[in-house]
Amino acid sequence: MTASQPSPKARTAIPWVTTVARLVLGGVLIAAGALKIGNPADSVVAVKAYQLLPETIAVTVGYALPILEIVVGVLLVVGLLTRVAAVIAALLMLAFVFGIAWAWAKGLRIDCGCFGGGGQLGAGQEPTYLLDILRDFGLVLLGVWAVRFPPGRFALDGALGLGGDNRDDEGDDD
Amino acid sequence: MGKGERTKTKSQSARDKIREQQAAQRARDQRKRVITYVTAGAVAVAAVGLGWWYAASISKSEEATAALAPVTVQADGTAVMAKSGVTAPVVDIYEDFQCPACKELERVSGQTFKNLAAEGKAKVVFHPITIFSQEPTKSNSVRAANAVRCTADGKQWLAMHDLLFDNQPSETVEGFKVDQLKQWGQEAGADPATFDQCVTSQKNAEAHLAYSKKVSDEQKLTHTPTVKLNGTEIDNQVLFSPSQLRDEITEAAK
Repeated sequence: MTASQPSPKARTAIPWVTTVARLVLGGVLIAAGALKIGNPADSVVAVKAYQLLPETIAVTVGYALPILEIVVGVLLVVGLLTRVAAVIAALLMLAFVFGIAWAWAKGLRIDCGCFGGGGQLGAGQEPTYLLDILRDFGLVLLGVWAVRFPPGRFALDGALGLGGDNRDDEGDDD
Repeated sequence: MGKGERTKTKSQSARDKIREQQAAQRARDQRKRVITYVTAGAVAVAAVGLGWWYAASISKSEEATAALAPVTVQADGTAVMAKSGVTAPVVDIYEDFQCPACKELERVSGQTFKNLAAEGKAKVVFHPITIFSQEPTKSNSVRAANAVRCTADGKQWLAMHDLLFDNQPSETVEGFKVDQLKQWGQEAGADPATFDQCVTSQKNAEAHLAYSKKVSDEQKLTHTPTVKLNGTEIDNQVLFSPSQLRDEITEAAK
């Protein structure tokens, strides 16, 4: 940390902010994954609707995405491997932002499939791309925060001594 | 060696010892941390792998087991796939050639329907319908459904049906174009002399749309694919899991 030392107040607040970021991001991921995991076919159709990935890769992603979201979400909520989990979560959200922006730019009329469902919209339904992008971008920021200041309060990483706020003196490149 | 000097050495070595112990303790802690970290990481990766494998395995398609059951095209444009004499259980498939979920059903469970019909365990009835009301999807769907009706027999009908799903266009562009349909018709074994004309003139488009509306109202269809087993809709989770689908249909055959 080359920046000036944060004030004592900030030093107390930062881990709590991380905890909130972890819980929100993790919670969203768990919900998103849980709503999709029972129906791999729906998930595959939702991924294909973006017309972004070749057929076989879209199928693999459709099968893997729900469980990946759940596992990363659980890691974030319990604060285990916080930094790695937060990196993956932030990258996932960034990929979603990109995907939705792509669908928007291409003029596709699809449901983002973020929380199950997905695919083409029916008549009278309007896509909510801007809202989806803003939400996911907000989640990217929470992820970045958790990457920068892991693991926050109430984290298994802290309890197990796996880096974070109890090792301030060792730098932050662990 | 003076007394003072010895004491100094002694305390020096004691301090070294403590330092060594501390270093050893730190190394142990570090090792423990690495092990914990790697273990947690391995468990997480294994969980993702397992979940992915599970999703892939419940969606695993069947292999073709036997020659196809005969397909008979009905006057209303539907096609029955069943061994002669098999009248139950009836599996009604309501599908739209332009609908991605129908393509997915075809990819995942299409072979199961074919196998069950070939084994004499079910009478499968295909009902191509058009659920889309907007362009370009509506016209795409109608052109495709018209073309499959232009085939001359059941064998061609099913071949065309499969080709249409294999080549399903995006929902944002005009697809199932006349020239493409003509070419797939030839691949399916249709006679260009009659088939091409039928595709170009969209001879069956009205009949198709009329049937589509009629059956959607009668069966209260809200989405495609809808698959009914003896009149009761099969749950999506079962529908997209070939082994569960097979169990449910064979159970109904008893």
